[in-house]
Amino acid sequence: MDPDRELVEAAAAGSRDAFDELVRRHQTAMLMLARVLTGGRGDADDLAQEVFVRAWRSLRGFRGESTFRTWLHRVAINVIRTSQAKEGRLRRLFATRAADEPFDPPAAGEPVDAVLARRQVIERALGTLPGELRVPLTLRDVQGLDYKEIAALMNVPIGTVESRIFRARQRLKPLLEPLWKTNTTK
Amino acid sequence: MEDEHDEVAALLRSMQPPEVRGDFVARVNARIDATAGWLGLADFRVWTIRLAPALAALLLVAVFWQAPASSASAASTSTAAAAQFSPASSADWQQDVTGDALLDAALAPGDGGRGR
Repeated sequence: MDPDRELVEAAAAGSRDAFDELVRRHQTAMLMLARVLTGGRGDADDLAQEVFVRAWRSLRGFRGESTFRTWLHRVAINVIRTSQAKEGRLRRLFATRAADEPFDPPAAGEPVDAVLARRQVIERALGTLPGELRVPLTLRDVQGLDYKEIAALMNVPIGTVESRIFRARQRLKPLLEPLWKTNTTK
Repeated sequence: MEDEHDEVAALLRSMQPPEVRGDFVARVNARIDATAGWLGLADFRVWTIRLAPALAALLLVAVFWQAPASSASAASTSTAAAAQFSPASSADWQQDVTGDALLDAALAPGDGGRGR
């Protein structure tokens, strides 16, 4: 049972109040997803807004085959991919960004326990993963979607999702090691 | 190996969610309103559903505009045809007239200049 169903039906019938409530329920998740998938860049807020604008325009086409939350994640991934594709074309024309520089993990003794620094380290580490690994890992470990939802959302078999998440965690482990060493030494 | 993977997952789950600005909903609404103006015209559902009354009105106008024009042209056509019509003889439209009588009437001199 989709907890958003009634609101979705009302919003699809044109209720802006119902849609506002849906935005409030999912805004944090969408902002988080945009931040992580864009490597913590400043336009995450803009992308999260665009996700809801697209969702509003496409809401009548939502058939309820998945939960609204899963559907919204699909919209978000399409919005972010489109934005990255556009940006990639621009980047090829102009200079490289700082995010393209090689990742340099913090040393174990560095004070990385501050919330902001910690988040930045994780976002930069995630940014080193290719999209095919970063997206399923983010959906699973950051957004909390289950394997079945991710498989449906990405149009791949569950086994593929599992193996991509396994490989992604394997690649992240050495990059994030200093963070949990810091945690355990406290 | 499994524990290490759990640690990575736990670390990602523990990420502090970003702070959402208080006016996020208002900004989303403003954006929807801004795009609704010109983009709404490209939405085929708007064309098929909301513009149905306008389509019906256009059809009515087209029907009423066509009707007087066609009746006027039909009347003028029939008047012109009547003016040009000059029967060879009243025998032309008598059903019981024989073929020979009809031929005689058509070939007789005078009567609108038809015939020889």
